[in-house]
Parts: sequence; structure tokens; C-alpha cells
Amino acid sequence: MTFKRIKASIRWLVDSWMVIVFFIAFFLLWELSIDWFSIPRYILPKPSTILVNASADLPRLIDYTYITGLETILGYVTAIVIAIPLGLAITFSSILRRTIYPFFVSIEMTPKIAFAPLFISWLGFGLLPKVIIVFLVCFFPIVLNAILAFGSLSDELDRFSKTTGASILKIFIKIRIPSALPQCFVGFKYAAINATVGATIAEFIGSDQGLGFYIQIQTGNMRTDLAFAGIFLLTIMGLLLFGIVTFVERALIPWHISQRR
Amino acid sequence: MPAAITIQDVSKSFSTEGQPILAFGPADLEVEEGDFVTLLGPSGCGKSTLLLMIAGLLSCTTGKIVMNHEEVSEPRHDIGMMFQDSTLVPWRTVLGNINLQLELRNLNLDEYSVKISELMESVSLKGYEHLRPHELSGGMQQRAALCQALIHEPKTLLLDEPLGKLDAMTRENIRKDLQNLWMNEKPTVLMVTHSIEEAVQLSSKVCVITPRPGLIDKTIEVKLPWPRDLDVKRSQMFTDYMAEIQEVFQGYGVI
Repeated sequence: MTFKRIKASIRWLVDSWMVIVFFIAFFLLWELSIDWFSIPRYILPKPSTILVNASADLPRLIDYTYITGLETILGYVTAIVIAIPLGLAITFSSILRRTIYPFFVSIEMTPKIAFAPLFISWLGFGLLPKVIIVFLVCFFPIVLNAILAFGSLSDELDRFSKTTGASILKIFIKIRIPSALPQCFVGFKYAAINATVGATIAEFIGSDQGLGFYIQIQTGNMRTDLAFAGIFLLTIMGLLLFGIVTFVERALIPWHISQRR
Repeated sequence: MPAAITIQDVSKSFSTEGQPILAFGPADLEVEEGDFVTLLGPSGCGKSTLLLMIAGLLSCTTGKIVMNHEEVSEPRHDIGMMFQDSTLVPWRTVLGNINLQLELRNLNLDEYSVKISELMESVSLKGYEHLRPHELSGGMQQRAALCQALIHEPKTLLLDEPLGKLDAMTRENIRKDLQNLWMNEKPTVLMVTHSIEEAVQLSSKVCVITPRPGLIDKTIEVKLPWPRDLDVKRSQMFTDYMAEIQEVFQGYGVI
């Protein structure tokens, strides 16, 4: 098993050499063009400068990454925990489907980030308003995809399970939940992409800590290099969150067509 | 022989834009225990609707259905069903899918393990137990679905065009399997199809259904010897039955 895994990793490295080369080339070209075109440092710093200066400010960056990460994770997880049961309730209650569902669909059209200044003014500069904004950004794609997921069991499977006389709970565990998972993950992934966006913009609007705050302050101080350091950390954070969700997806639904290789 | 299924004055209307549209019936039919009855008709004639009503998955607009001495008012549990699209779930293996039927019915898996391997053997699925549905051909998937529909030993088998999506060779092959299983276990079978050849080959009785709204126009008893292998299919009698039914459909203007 381990041997197989090592072999698979090596193959992955070999298979992805093109993208690795591309990344190296991209940063190398960036590094060199700064001198070639004599671009001022405050407009665009060299990647090496970003790296060196960021490590000088490392304690603060780590601290802020933790804060923004916490906002993101809390908002994201809360969104999942509330959206999935609510999506279920909406799927199976005709009253909710005619009231809350159309309401949610219309709110989905509102850019949730537009609420950010309001939440900041209501709740201040702390953690809570950011968590709420991340929650809002993540909640709607998750709930709408959950409704789609739980509402689209095939007629055949629905009929089959009814003829077995199994309890609703049993049908739920053995048929409905596994059938719904792939579509649920569409929502989870979409929300994961948006979660860091929500946290960053919320920090732009009103904050005294976090990576969004850091980027804004450093841009104001003409410290483009440090602003880029913040952007890189946000990128890594976003990739990490998306990677975790993808990993869980692969573990839970290896049978799904999107996971076959 | 007592009637396994009695259909009395059954019809089904659907309402579209407030206007009720008659989709099927009214029709009467008696199916005897151990019969193999096909509902043969053009598409859209409501034959699948009738099958769903018999299963208790759809309510009748008028009339009543009695199965095994009980009026059908909710989904029946003493049946096995097969559809055009298989009821196999993609996250389970072939064996897991057959077990799903047993698990949902709270039956003991160990007690059925011998039965499962016999059943899989009889439809040449031996060796495919641990593959997932997407790794099988369409024909193999329907064979697995057949095992799933039969494993709990239902008295009645309701088949809704189970071979509808398969190629001609595979169909021929699975018909043989289906016939063998029926001859061995003698469940009551009701099968929906629009293939005249399939109906004549498999059935003890063929119910010819008119175009929409479907009515059971004619019930033809097929008195051919069993098993109906290629020799029987080449016989004059087989051709005569085919011709008789073809003439009926020609009369409706559907062929």
C-alpha cells in the first residue's frame, strides 16, 4: 500500500512537471522583468524581495493568518451546519418550499458582501461581524445545492425503496444521503472558494487585524512587497481549504463519476 | 388456480391545467398465480402507469386492484420490481446492491448468501460480485438488477421494460435468463414491453393495449411449448402469434 502510494506520488510529480516548470518560469520572469523594465519597487516588488521582507515580519503575518483563517473556518463550518438541515427541511416541506425557498433564491441574487458595512457598524470591529459575512457568502450556495441534491432522487430509486417497506430513516441513510452527496459537494466547493473572499473584504471594510487589514495598511504605506505577502498567504489559505474539501469529497464519494481517474 | 392479481374497472387520469386527461383504462384483468403476463402496447399508452398502480406506487382514479387477496392501497412489499433504468446505486458493488434489497427489508444477509450465489450463477454474474455498476455493460447491469429484484423471493415480479435499453443480442440473452428463472421459481410476472417478439417469447398471456388512453383490447393466450428457445421461435406457430398481434396493431394504425 505504502509502496503503491509512493509510486503514485512519483507519477504525480512526473505528470505535473509541466505545471511546476510553468510556475518556476512565471516567478523567474517576474523576478527578472523588474530589473529589465526598471519597475519601481513600490509598484511591483521582486518575488525575492517579498520573501525576504515577509520573513522579517513573520510573527505578525502568522498571527494575522490565524485570525483570518479562524474567521473563514468559523463562518464556513457554521454555514454547512445550518444550511444542510435547513436544505433538508425545505426539500421535504411544501410550506417552506413555497416561502423560504423563493426568498433564498432572491437573496442569492444580492451580493452578500454589500451587507458587510452594515454588520461592521452593528457589531463593531471584532471577530463576529467577519464570521457572519463569511457565513452569508457560504450559506446560500450550500443551501441551494443541498435542496437540489436532496430533491433529485431518481424515480427508480424512489420507487424501489418504497417497495422494500424500509423506514424513512433507513432509506435516508442508505439511499438518500449517498445520492445527495455529490451535489452537496458542488455547494461546499463553491462556498470554499468564496469564504476567503468574504473574510478579506470584511476586513477591508472595518478591522484592526487579519490579512485583509494587513494588505490594506501595507498598500497605504507603499509597502507593496508586504501587501503581496498577505495576498500569497490568502492564496495558500484558500488552496488549503479547497484542498481539504476536495480530499473529504474524494474520501466520501470515490464512486462518483467526477472522482474516477 | 386462484387469481394473484385482480384488476377491476381501473383507470388513471392526470390533470393538466385543471383539465383531467384520461391516461389509462378503464380496464379489467385477472392474472393467475404463476402466470407470465405481458402488457404490450405502443409508447404512451399507459401500460407503465398500470404497472405502477399494481405496485401501489400510484393511486387509481377509479376501480380497485387486489393482489394476493389484499386491496392495493399503498406500496406493496411482496413484489420485486425492475425498470428500464436499473435501480443499482453507484456507491455499492454488484453484491452490495443485491444486499441492499435485503438490508432495506431487515433480512439476514447470511441466510441469503447461498441464494445470492445461485442467483448470480444463473445469470452468469459469477466473478463480477465486487465490481461497481459503472464497470459493467448495460446488459450485466440489468442482470444484476434482476438478481436484486429476485433475492427476497417475491411472489410477484413487476417488470417495466427491463430490456428496453439493451442491444438485440443482449436482450435475447437476458430473455433466456429471465425465462429460466421464471420456470424454476414460478413467480407471477407482469411485464411491460413494446416488443411483440419479446411478448410472444416470454408470456403465457399477452394483453394487447390500445394507444392512449390505453385499454386492454385483447388477451391472447400463448400456447407454445417451454422453454421457448430458438427452435420454438423459428416455428410456424410462433410466427402466427407474431402476425396475429401485428395485425391488431396495424388496425390501430400504430405500425
